[in-house]
Amino acid sequence: MISAWLKKNLFRSTGDSILTVVAGGLLGYAAFRMLRFVFVTGRWTVIKVNLNLLITGAWPQEELWRLTTVILALAAMAGLFMGLAAKQTALEAADDDDVEPMTAGERARSLVGRLWPAAGTVLLLLLLTETAGPWLLVAGVIVVSAVGWFVGKQLPLKAKGALTGGGVVLFAVLIWFLTLGVSWNSWGGMVLNLFLAAISIVLCFPFGVVLALGRRSEYPIVRGICTAYVELFRGVPLLGLLLMANVALGFFIPRGLVPGNVVKAIVVFTLFSAAYVAEIVRGGLQSVPRGQLEAGRAMGMSPITVTRKIILPQALRNVIPSLVGQFISLFKDTTLAGAALGMTDLLTGGQVLTAQKEFRGQGLIAETLIFVLLLFWAGSFTMSQESQRLESRLGIGER
Amino acid sequence: MSETQTEVFADATQVGGSGDVMIELDGVHKYFGAFHALKDINLNVGRQEVVVIIGPSGSGKSTTIRCINRLEKHDKGRIVVDGVALSEDVRNIQEIRRETGMVFQGFNLFPHLTVLENITIAPRLVRGKPKAVAEEKAMELLERVQIPEQANKYPGQLSGGQQQRVAIARSLAMEPKVMLFDEPTSALDPEMINEVLEVMMDLARESMTMIVVTHEMGFARQVADRVVFMADGEIVEVGTPEHFFTNPQEERTQKFLSQIL
Ligand SMILES: Nc1ncnc2c1ncn2[C@@H]1O[C@H](COP(=O)(O)OP(=O)(O)O)[C@@H](O)[C@H]1O
Ligand SMILES: [Mg+2]
Repeated sequence: MISAWLKKNLFRSTGDSILTVVAGGLLGYAAFRMLRFVFVTGRWTVIKVNLNLLITGAWPQEELWRLTTVILALAAMAGLFMGLAAKQTALEAADDDDVEPMTAGERARSLVGRLWPAAGTVLLLLLLTETAGPWLLVAGVIVVSAVGWFVGKQLPLKAKGALTGGGVVLFAVLIWFLTLGVSWNSWGGMVLNLFLAAISIVLCFPFGVVLALGRRSEYPIVRGICTAYVELFRGVPLLGLLLMANVALGFFIPRGLVPGNVVKAIVVFTLFSAAYVAEIVRGGLQSVPRGQLEAGRAMGMSPITVTRKIILPQALRNVIPSLVGQFISLFKDTTLAGAALGMTDLLTGGQVLTAQKEFRGQGLIAETLIFVLLLFWAGSFTMSQESQRLESRLGIGER
Repeated sequence: MSETQTEVFADATQVGGSGDVMIELDGVHKYFGAFHALKDINLNVGRQEVVVIIGPSGSGKSTTIRCINRLEKHDKGRIVVDGVALSEDVRNIQEIRRETGMVFQGFNLFPHLTVLENITIAPRLVRGKPKAVAEEKAMELLERVQIPEQANKYPGQLSGGQQQRVAIARSLAMEPKVMLFDEPTSALDPEMINEVLEVMMDLARESMTMIVVTHEMGFARQVADRVVFMADGEIVEVGTPEHFFTNPQEERTQKFLSQIL
């Protein structure tokens, strides 16, 4: 069977065979060089020694416990939500005879398929650490989220609203709790990139949707403002906006009110990305046929109800790939915050390493860059995979 | 009865049905830019009456019924539905829309919702019905259009005929006083036309007030009280179905009927 497959796909003709051998040879050689670098010639001490710097930047060591607390609280919350969602899915599947419930094996396989890049990266980080702390943290996250999951499964489905509200409040409290010990200027490392991306995505998405709807408003003033906003922010480079926020903000608002670097960066990323999100969503809105609006209107639904329940769900589903593409860009663009605001984000941190006294002039830039890029790749790839999953789940009705 | 069967109505304002007026179009004009799409439409529809509108493509049939529920805004004249005159007021428009169901040529089901959700969404959000009540009613309606087993499917998984029957059930779920049909079978494969027409005939038998734009003359003959022939944005001729089969008066009517019969 394998030989038949090989023949059919790789060696169908002489030309095919030559291509296969040449391409295979090149690939094999590249893989060999890569593996040799990773396991033999690469000097990874620089990463090992500086792992703390890469992950948390200039975060004061004595305040790390705050970060740990926040991560555990978030894990618990995520567990609760997933438990409740799992309960809902199970109930829906039980309702619908056509859908077979997933077996435990299938569920495990799907989980591994989804999480291997993120889980693999975490494992790699753990293997590079020399203290027990990170191991304990990961174990804590697993335990806490599992407990959350089981508790979530016991909750009534109605609890979703309360849980969401509680989640938002908890999140605000956690942020406040962090600011008690750590200034907005001393954030850094991978934690900074993840935080900037997560918050900016959550904020720019609703803002972008509002802008997109505004561009279709029947009021010319609203339309004009939204269009002007989008065109303004799409017309300037992100790096320029970040530099503006860094040096020029003081000209516009009193010195004392200028926010810390993290806040500045979030504001800029949100304002900037919202313009792109707005254009993507506008495309989605245009893709929904006019008959949908008419059908809703004809039954007496208000314009707001038609938009919320009929038009937006379809519009957003149609643009998931582009939206997630935009969010991935945003995640990678958080590296610009390092350059423009003088923060040690993951990428800047990586460059700092090779200038350290013990590592200077040893040509370690490849090692640090590979490590840094791997972390970004794992994050982006996970987002991309989750988006495909979301798409296929929401695409059920479309044939 | 046979006398009245071939009766020619002098104009379209003499109603059939139970006698009192359900829908009143009074000197209605509609422009699309400079194009005069409806020219002085006068049409009254009685309670429990079934009126079929026929006419060549582009003659203003859709525009006429779309003015009744304000999917198009008429430029001149008066439209009254069950005693309520259409005005600029949003509430007034929504009130009239709640009482008038509309079935479209292209079904316009919501593809992201299941059949059951399609039918319950408006009763729940517009009429504020509790979920369980709305669902029970929806299942009754699905029984009535004979596809209760499709309740949890998505529209994309149904045939055209089934989709149109769901669309009819969706409109009926709002318990409208009037149903407007805009070429409900034109987008269907021939073998599915009858299943939809049967549902509509059922409705007519149950005394629903209906305005139906269609070229299905068999349907018109069986259930229509009156047939209205439109051309170039005008009502050209009005009469019983028999009148149109046996004795059409106007040249434009004769020419059109010779093409479709
Ligand atoms: N939204 C619109 N904008 C411009 N012209 C329109 C619009 N809708 C309909 N028309 C025009 O009005 C006329 C009547 O259309 P319609 O009522 O759809 O005809 P019918 O349903 O009898 O085929 C046609 O000439 C059509 O091109
Ligand atoms: Mg039409």
